[in-house]
Amino acid sequence: MIKENFPATIYTKLSSLQWVGLLVAIVIAGLGFIFGLLQKVVLQQLIFYTVATFALVIWIWNAYVAPHAKFGQDQSEGSPSGFAIARDFAYRNKVLLISLLIILGIFLIASATVNEFFNWVNIVTFLVLCALLVFTVQVSQLFVDNRSAFIGLMVLVTMFTIGSIFIEGFSSGQNIKSMLLFASFLGLACVGQTMVALLGGLDLSIPFVIGASNVFLLYMIGLGVYPWVAILIILLLGAFIGWLNGILSFRLQGQALILTLGVGFAVSGLTQIVTSIGSAFAGNVFGVVPEWLKNLAAMNGTTFGLQIPPVILIWAVVAIVLIYGLKNTVYGRFLYALGGNRTSAGRLSISERRYWVIAYMVSGTSAALTGVLLLGWSGGGFIGVGQPYLFMTLAAVVMGGTSLLGGQGGYGFTVIGVLVLQVLTSFLVGMGLKFEWQQFIFGLLILPMVALYARSPHIRTQI
Amino acid sequence: MSDSSNSSTAAASSSSTYMLVPILLLFLLLIIAVLRSPNLISSAGIGSAVIVLTPLALATFSLMVLAMAGRGTVDLSVGPLMGFINVTLVVLSGSGALESPVAFFLYAAAVGVIYQLIVALIIIYVRVQPIIVALSGYLALSGINLVILPRPGGTAPEWMSSWGLGTTIFSPILLILVLATALWLIFTSTAFYGHLRLMGSDERAAYTSGVRITIVRLGAHIISGLFAALAALTYTALIGSGDPTQGTTYTLISVTALVLGGTSLSGGRGGVIGSLMGAVNLFLIGYVLATFNFGAVQGFVTDLAYGVILVLSLLLTVAIPWLQRRIPNISPTIVFVVLSIAFAGVILHAKYDYSQLAVEVINKTQVIEAPTSIPKDSLSDDASNAVATSTSSDQVARVTSSVDSQIEIPSVPDLTDKTEIAQSTAAGSLVMQDAIRENPVTKIVSTDFFFENKTYFGEADSALAKPIALGLLWAIVLLIVARATVLQTRLQKFSPRMIYIVFAALVVSIFMAWDNSVLPNAVKQPQASSKEAS
Repeated sequence: MIKENFPATIYTKLSSLQWVGLLVAIVIAGLGFIFGLLQKVVLQQLIFYTVATFALVIWIWNAYVAPHAKFGQDQSEGSPSGFAIARDFAYRNKVLLISLLIILGIFLIASATVNEFFNWVNIVTFLVLCALLVFTVQVSQLFVDNRSAFIGLMVLVTMFTIGSIFIEGFSSGQNIKSMLLFASFLGLACVGQTMVALLGGLDLSIPFVIGASNVFLLYMIGLGVYPWVAILIILLLGAFIGWLNGILSFRLQGQALILTLGVGFAVSGLTQIVTSIGSAFAGNVFGVVPEWLKNLAAMNGTTFGLQIPPVILIWAVVAIVLIYGLKNTVYGRFLYALGGNRTSAGRLSISERRYWVIAYMVSGTSAALTGVLLLGWSGGGFIGVGQPYLFMTLAAVVMGGTSLLGGQGGYGFTVIGVLVLQVLTSFLVGMGLKFEWQQFIFGLLILPMVALYARSPHIRTQI
Repeated sequence: MSDSSNSSTAAASSSSTYMLVPILLLFLLLIIAVLRSPNLISSAGIGSAVIVLTPLALATFSLMVLAMAGRGTVDLSVGPLMGFINVTLVVLSGSGALESPVAFFLYAAAVGVIYQLIVALIIIYVRVQPIIVALSGYLALSGINLVILPRPGGTAPEWMSSWGLGTTIFSPILLILVLATALWLIFTSTAFYGHLRLMGSDERAAYTSGVRITIVRLGAHIISGLFAALAALTYTALIGSGDPTQGTTYTLISVTALVLGGTSLSGGRGGVIGSLMGAVNLFLIGYVLATFNFGAVQGFVTDLAYGVILVLSLLLTVAIPWLQRRIPNISPTIVFVVLSIAFAGVILHAKYDYSQLAVEVINKTQVIEAPTSIPKDSLSDDASNAVATSTSSDQVARVTSSVDSQIEIPSVPDLTDKTEIAQSTAAGSLVMQDAIRENPVTKIVSTDFFFENKTYFGEADSALAKPIALGLLWAIVLLIVARATVLQTRLQKFSPRMIYIVFAALVVSIFMAWDNSVLPNAVKQPQASSKEAS
C-alpha cells in the first residue's frame, strides 16, 4: 500500500526538496548538538545522538514530506487539492498520527507539570519512541503473516532501549541474566497455554498445578524418595492432571476456562490435604532441596562450567523444539488445522479429542516442570508460588499474538510475549515503582499492546 | 445453545432445563445444611446468610449479564471493581466528601457504569477480545486499589453500620437484593432482553437481522456496571470498612457461582434466578463444610470441594440433552416445587424440638431405672420453667448443648423410636402442657422466625405465625403449580409478572403476620428460656 506512494519520478523532479530537507536536518541536529554542549553531555554520546537525530530527520523528510509535497503540480493539473491529499494522507496513517499525537501530548503535559522533566534524556527518549513508532507502523504494513511477531519484537526493542537510557545497569549482563531467568519460568509455564490456545481452549489450572507440584515434590523428598524419582512422579502426575483437564473439558470446550479452574482448585486443595496429613504444620512442608536442583534454577547456577543458569538453556531447547515441531511435524500441523477449522480437520480424519487431550497433557506437564524448577529456585515449598502465573501466562500468550480463538500463533510468538512482559516488569522495578503501581501500569499497557495487532475483525466482515 | 429466541413464557417450560442442575444442587445442599445445623433456619441464621450472600449474588448478576452478551465475556475485573468502589467510598466518606446515602448510591452507580462503559467502548471500537480487556482491568484496578488504600482500614458511614449485623432477615441488604432481582425480571419482558439473548447466542445472526448490536452491548455493560455497584455497596456494608484486596477474591468465586447457576459462558443463556441459586449454592458449600470440623485443613477441603462441585456441575450440564430426550417436558418449576415441599418437611423435621424429646427420654429412663430419684408428678408441681427441673438440669444442659453443636446427637432419629416416645410420654407432655397453660409465662419478646414457635402448633392460644405461614406457603406452591401447568399446556397466556406480584404480597403479609403486636397471646416456651440460660 505504501509502496505505491513512492513513484520514482518524484525524486527526480523535486530534488530541490531534498536539499531543503537536508538543511532542516542540519538545523535540527545542530540545535540538538548545541543544547547537548550546554548541558555538558559526554561527547561520544552527544555525537551519537546528533548523528541519530540527523539520520532520523532525513529519513522522515524523504519518506513523508517529499512524496507528498507535490502541491504545485497537482493543482496545475486540476487533480485533488492539497487539502484532499493531506486528508487522504491523514486517513491512511491515522493510527500512526493518533499515537504520535498522544505521545506528544503526554510529553508536553509532563513537561509542563512535572519539574525537571524537560531534560536531555527525556527528549531523546521521546524522539526514540517516535522513531520506533514510525518505523514499526510503516514496516509492519509490509508484513502479512507475522505482523504481530514483528510488532512484539519492536515493542521489546523499544522498551529495552528506554530501559537502558533510564536505568543504570539495565543492559548489564547480570540484569539480562536475571531477566532471562524469570522469563524462562514464565516461558515454560506458557508452553501448555500456547498449545491449548492454538486449539481455542484455555488452561487456568496452570498456577495451581505449579503450586501443587512445588509443594508435593518437597513433600516427597521429605519422605525420602529419591529426588529424580520424585520429579518423574511429579511430571507424570502433571500429565495426569492435564489428561483429566482434557477429557473433562472436551465436551465443554466453551467452558474450558472455568472447568480447568475447578480442576485447579481441586488439585491445589487435595495436595495440601495430602501433605498436611500427619503434619503439625498444616500447609507447610519441610525438606531439603538437593544441590543439583538448586543449581538448575538458581541465579548463580552453572551449566557445564558456564555462568548461565541451566533453566535458561532448558527453556531455549524447549522453545526451539516447539517452534520447529509446531511448524514441521504432523502433530504441529494438525494442531493448527484443528484450531483453524474443526470441520475440515475432521474431514481429514484428525481426531479432535486426541489432539485436545494431548495439548492439555503437555500443559499439565509443563506446569509441573515449572513448579519443580521453581522449587529449585526458591528452596522452599509454597502453594501460592504459582499465583502470579494465573493471568501472566494468558497475558504472555495474547501479547505474543496467539489468538485465543485458535489456529493462529505459535510458541515463537509466546516467547516474544514473555520477553516483553519480563522486560516491562524489570523496567518498572528498575524505575523504583512499588508493586501496586507496577500492576496498575501493567494492566494499562496490556490493552494497547494487544490492540496493536490482536484486533478482531468487524462483525460485518464475518458474515 | 438452541434456546436462542424463545419468548420468556416458553423459555420457562422447556428450554430452561439447564436450571435442573442448580435446583438439585441447591436442595441437596440445603437439606444437608439444615440437618447439620438447624440454626440456619432462624431469623439470625437467614439474616446473616443474606448479608454474606448478597455481594456474591450481585457480583454474579454482573457477570451473568455480560456472559449473556456473548463473545466469551467473563468479566474478570468485577472483583477489583468492587474493591475500587469500596475503597474509594470509604476514603471519600472518611474525608467527608460523601455523606448521605443518596450520594453513596449515586457515586457507586456512576463509577460502576462509567467503568463498564469504557470497557464496552474498547470492546466495540478497538475490537479487542473481552477477556483481554477484563484481564487488563483486573490488573489495573487491583493495582490502583492498593495505591488508594494500602492496607485495610477506614470505616463505613454511620448509617450503614447497622446493615451488616444480620440479626434479622429483613434488612436493607435484602431489599437491595430483591429489588435488583425484580428489576432484572421486569427487564426480561422488554425487547432489549430478547436482543441481548439473540446477540449472545449468535452475534452474526443478530447483526444480519437488524439488531443494533452496538447499542445492545453498551446496554449490557451498563446493567452489569449497576449490578457491580450494588455488589460493592453491599460488600462495603458487609465488611464495614475499606479493603483493597478482599474484593479481588470475589472474581473467582463469582465466576464459580455463575457457572453453578447454569449460565453458559458461550453466551445467550442465563438468568437471574439461576445466578442467585448459584451464589446460594456456593455459600451453602462453605456453610456445610464449616459444620464439619476439619481442623487445620479446613481451607484446603473447601478448595477441594469448590473444585469438585464446579467440575461435577459442569459435567451434569453435558448430561442435560440426554436427560431432555429421556424425560420430555420436564419442568424445572415443578421440580423446584416438589423439592421445596420436601425441603419444608426436612425443615420441620430438623427444627422439631429434640431437646424436649430428649428431656422426656431422660425423664422416662429416670423413671424406669431410678424411680426414686424424681417422682413424675413433680413436673406438674414445678410450675414455672417446668422442664428445667433442678434434678435433671445438668443432663438438660448437656443434651441441649449437644444439640446446639449438632455433632454428637444423631439428628434424624428413627421414626419408630419417635412414635414410641410420643406414645409413652403422651401423659407426661399433657401434664406439661397443663402446667404451661396454668402459668402463662412471659410473652414473646424477641422476633423469632416462625418455625421456632413450633411446639404450640395446633393450640388455640398459640402463635398464629406458623399456620398463617404454612397456609401462604401452600398458596404459593399452588400458584406456581398452576402457572407451570398453564405454561406446559399452553392453553392461554399467563403473565409471569403476576406470580412475582403475588409473591411479593405474600412475603409482606408474612412479615406483618409475625410482628409482635399481631401475636398477643403468644407464649414464650420454657424450653427456649432454659436453653438460653444454659
